Amino acid sequence: MSVKIEVGAGGIPHNQILIYGLVGSLVLVYLTYLNTVTNTQYFAFFGGLAAVAALIWGTDTIKHLCSYGLGTGVPSAGMIALGSGVIAAIFGATTGILAPIVTVIIAAIIGAVAGLMANHVVRMDIPVMIISLIELAIVGAMTVLGLSAMACGTFEFLGMITGTVVILGFAVEAYSASVIGGSIIAVIFMLGAIAIQHSFNACLGPGEQQDRTLMLAAECGFLSMITVAIISFAFIGLLAAFVSLLVSIIGWIYTYTQYIALSKRDAYAWLDAQPILEPKGGA
Amino acid sequence: MSALGGPAQTGGVQPPTAMGLVISIVLIVVALALAFFLVQMAGVIALAGIIIGGVLIAFGVHFVPVGGAPAAMGQAPGIATGVAMLAAGAGLAGLFGGAWAAPFGLVIALAGGAIGGGLLMAITCTMVNVIYIFGMGIPSASGKVDKDPITGDTFPEYKSQGTEGHGLPFISWVGGVVGGALGGLGGTLIYLELLDIYQAQLPVILDVTVEQIASVAVSLAGIFAVGMFLMNAVLAAYNITGTIEGPHDPKFKRFPRAVIAAAAASAVAGIFAIALLELVGVF
Repeated sequence: MSVKIEVGAGGIPHNQILIYGLVGSLVLVYLTYLNTVTNTQYFAFFGGLAAVAALIWGTDTIKHLCSYGLGTGVPSAGMIALGSGVIAAIFGATTGILAPIVTVIIAAIIGAVAGLMANHVVRMDIPVMIISLIELAIVGAMTVLGLSAMACGTFEFLGMITGTVVILGFAVEAYSASVIGGSIIAVIFMLGAIAIQHSFNACLGPGEQQDRTLMLAAECGFLSMITVAIISFAFIGLLAAFVSLLVSIIGWIYTYTQYIALSKRDAYAWLDAQPILEPKGGA
Repeated sequence: MSALGGPAQTGGVQPPTAMGLVISIVLIVVALALAFFLVQMAGVIALAGIIIGGVLIAFGVHFVPVGGAPAAMGQAPGIATGVAMLAAGAGLAGLFGGAWAAPFGLVIALAGGAIGGGLLMAITCTMVNVIYIFGMGIPSASGKVDKDPITGDTFPEYKSQGTEGHGLPFISWVGGVVGGALGGLGGTLIYLELLDIYQAQLPVILDVTVEQIASVAVSLAGIFAVGMFLMNAVLAAYNITGTIEGPHDPKFKRFPRAVIAAAAASAVAGIFAIALLELVGVF
């Protein structure tokens, strides 16, 4: 059983979004390295922005892939994206300064294998399957790497597995108080998965418009960023975490209002529901 | 933009292409060789465990009665959600059970995983039938077979016109429990193999005790098991394309394709998980 899913035509070409998403997320993840250079933690929020850039690109990829009718629902594409992405992201993180680039390469390898298996062994025979799963694996990996970098201020593996605990006024290194040791990585995994699989699932249909779908993707990304910013209070400085939270909330409010405006643009009609006021003196 | 291709809708099962088969065998052999090169015999055993785990997951998914959207409207038998979601639920429940029992040894941990996954599916399938029968007022009837292979109940008298069957016949219930148990078993096997590797390697690299690093090893093994679980479950879902009633469904015969795909995908993802700590500190 395969159901054709209608998607809107027009909008920005997919290859353009691919380049913006890939380069944008790479540059933004690398900007978190300013933390190491300047020995502060104020630049952690760039990791979250990298995740948002990757999510926008990934949503457009899912739109392309799912227009062929997988028969398994849109969320399955998001699950395989993050499932292969998280392996690449953690493996890539062990390579220090090269982490984001290695992550992209490893994710491309895992995605290519999954795509080849899907097309040539499981026989989906979808023309864009292999390239889409490569893209989705990279998107998932950059999302996990970006959000992890946002939570702990660095994309390096040793920074992700070490944290500090204050005991009797002394700061002690503890592996359990870290992004990976505290299993925060699992929360980040699900935050990324929900963000990537929701937008196209919510917007698909005959009236689908690319700008509206991608705006919802950005909104979901910022929503995940807010959660990660709150998590980051445990790992980075108070002020740095506040900066992250502020950036996330501003980004979310902007994208949310834009999304509502675009939804009203595409809607046939809408009702601005107001609360019913009690007449004075009783009815 | 509309669907241009999509899965070929032929009656029989298309066998994997020669290229797909060759690529999967080469990938598995190369991954096993790499594992031997990196971690010697322990690596080969761990990767073999991961591949067996992946195969069990992909095979188990085929047992689970997935109804999708038609089932939500009572027009098709099965549980009313997608393959990836159901498999993830059963597999993660199994993983929790297995991870909890990990200190008691391999056999008890694997049994714990299988019971965890099977139990979740048993509860889900029972509650699905409670809602179908007592909430929606529809009897259980399969559309694919005339007679339940286990109980011998006949279905055609109860099947409504224009539907593919409805509810959850006993054979589907059994399939769900078997599928959940296999999924939980596979997920737990991947987790245990990776946990052994990390518990052996992390203390050496970081020069700390096993107890100090336990949380990091558990978290890494857990998130990798989840990632690989979702990859294999989605590949199996692509193999099923949509809905399946359980082991009596004609689509069940497609499982060899998913088994091959899952073995190759697990081998590639597994080698990255096993080699994770080889590059720490190199860059």
